Amino acid sequence: MSPEPRRLHRAGILVYALATLREAAIPLLAVFVVGGLGGGFDERALLRGAGFAVAGTVFASIAGYVRWRTTTWWVTGEGIHRRSGVVSIKETDVPLGRIQSLDVEQGPLQRLFGVHSLHVQTGGGGAKGEIVLEALDLEQVRELRALVAAGRPAEVADAPEPDAERRLSRPALLVAALTAGQLGVLLPVLAAAGQLSQSLFDERRGEEAIGLLPDAAGEWVLAGAVLLALAWVLSTLGSVVAFAGFTVSREGERLRIRRGLLAHREATVPVGRVRAVEVVEGVLRWPLGLAALRMEVIGHADEPTAARMLFPLIARRDVRAFLDELLPELADDLDGLEPLPRRAHARYVLPPVAVAAVAGALLWALTGAGAWALALAVPAAAAYGTLAFRAAGWRLEGGRLVTRALRLARVTLLAPAAHRESHTLSQTPLQRRGDLADVRVAFGKQTAASVRHLDAGTAARLWERIAAGTR
Amino acid sequence: MSAEPSRALAPAARWVWRAEQALGWGVAVAIAAVVSFQLDGVLALLARVLPAVALVACVVVVPRLRWRNWRWEVHPQAVDIRHGTLTLRRTLIPIVRVQHVETSRDLLERWLGLATVKIHTAAGSHSIPLLLAADAGEVRDRIADLAPAADEP
Repeated sequence: MSPEPRRLHRAGILVYALATLREAAIPLLAVFVVGGLGGGFDERALLRGAGFAVAGTVFASIAGYVRWRTTTWWVTGEGIHRRSGVVSIKETDVPLGRIQSLDVEQGPLQRLFGVHSLHVQTGGGGAKGEIVLEALDLEQVRELRALVAAGRPAEVADAPEPDAERRLSRPALLVAALTAGQLGVLLPVLAAAGQLSQSLFDERRGEEAIGLLPDAAGEWVLAGAVLLALAWVLSTLGSVVAFAGFTVSREGERLRIRRGLLAHREATVPVGRVRAVEVVEGVLRWPLGLAALRMEVIGHADEPTAARMLFPLIARRDVRAFLDELLPELADDLDGLEPLPRRAHARYVLPPVAVAAVAGALLWALTGAGAWALALAVPAAAAYGTLAFRAAGWRLEGGRLVTRALRLARVTLLAPAAHRESHTLSQTPLQRRGDLADVRVAFGKQTAASVRHLDAGTAARLWERIAAGTR
Repeated sequence: MSAEPSRALAPAARWVWRAEQALGWGVAVAIAAVVSFQLDGVLALLARVLPAVALVACVVVVPRLRWRNWRWEVHPQAVDIRHGTLTLRRTLIPIVRVQHVETSRDLLERWLGLATVKIHTAAGSHSIPLLLAADAGEVRDRIADLAPAADEP
């Protein structure tokens, strides 16, 4: 490959234009909606909206062209370089040795022109790459992959046949999307609803606006149910878009993951960088005997770890077979874990019950009608505590650690103890009195094996066994 | 447990903690005193007395407990840290997992000739605070020297 700077494929103009349009879309839409609500949806408002849309598209196209013209990239013996910017010029250089993988992505627009978005990954493979080249044709992608592979003979650029492969079928995708339960999507929905109601409040008179708010508790419940339903629909759609066609294949010492409905994403993870695997049974999946598989991938030198989806939906009883085929380095049995001592049960039940009792009491004191909340919340909290106690367990055998805990979801973590970043034994004064202790083994920023309220002696021995050989 | 870490923090650390407790509880006492003028009877008395009692108790007891519990050691393959005031924690960090080490000094530490060592791993960081500045530099350099030769646990 020549070291001379070159521009991206011409399709990049459209990719950048679309990106600019997307960035401007939400504010434009807000202006249009609020303006329309203020003066009513008459012809003038519609024309104004159309005017905005046209002006926006023209501006976005010009911006896209400018961005395309001022973005160049080149490859030298040292690494891959990218330069962009008009007023403030930004140049990024990534040494070849730091490159972990070259991931590709292909949105519908890029598919139309046969170009790919290339992400140069150095870290745990989280979101974007350190360098992103938004429009390269297949030939250039292959050349770059060959160049990076040449520097590292242990990794083959394009393995012809995968050793093992698993694909998410359409029915499984639907079940996965329906049971995803990503309530985080509720937050922007609430924010948008808040904005909308604010503009309504400004436009109409105060009393009318308050009249719109729910009066009785029943209406609040209904409003809450509607919001939850909306969040569920959005979460389902989001999962379908993200995980359609999910395929994971093992090729030598790498895992290749392909997914996406609108944007086709392809990522590569060197197996040696997978620190831990988590079997996540969310509240909607646990009763169905289903789970999602997540893996913690370490970064390069100074980078943090990143959690990645290994497979979106799998029957719990199939997990062992899946791992034996695709990730035998981390495979282990999910069952046969050591339970906690009986006296730990109270420690799991009391905190949620206390929280429920206090919240319920406050509600009763403030609104005078929260007695039913108290009657429901406290037993529910006790049930949750008991489930969490029963779910907790651990096993350390042959250097392989397996722990299980229930917080929001029931998560079973599988990892060789040697993959840990650190491990901690802790004991609160109350635990000292009950002869209990906690053990926590950290594998990544968000991934840790945690066993709470173990017998103190057992905890100390577990700590020692994990520490063995490292002093 | 076998081989507890043996090294302690700088003796001046106790003064730092005493100052922190005095300041924190001092603010609480001031606020409570102001609030107590809005209350009467037993409540007002409690509002004045309890924070003052807590201040005295914490300034005396907390530094002592913490000092007794804070122990650390750098082994060839791992850093062993034991600490806590009421909740005791024992952490082992394999040297091979250390991404980088730095020393830092806040105002109080600079005044007393102390420093904090911060050890960064991919999962987060661990600190050994309030060491003598020279010791902190030594620890930082020692860990950095051990890193290349360290084995996977």
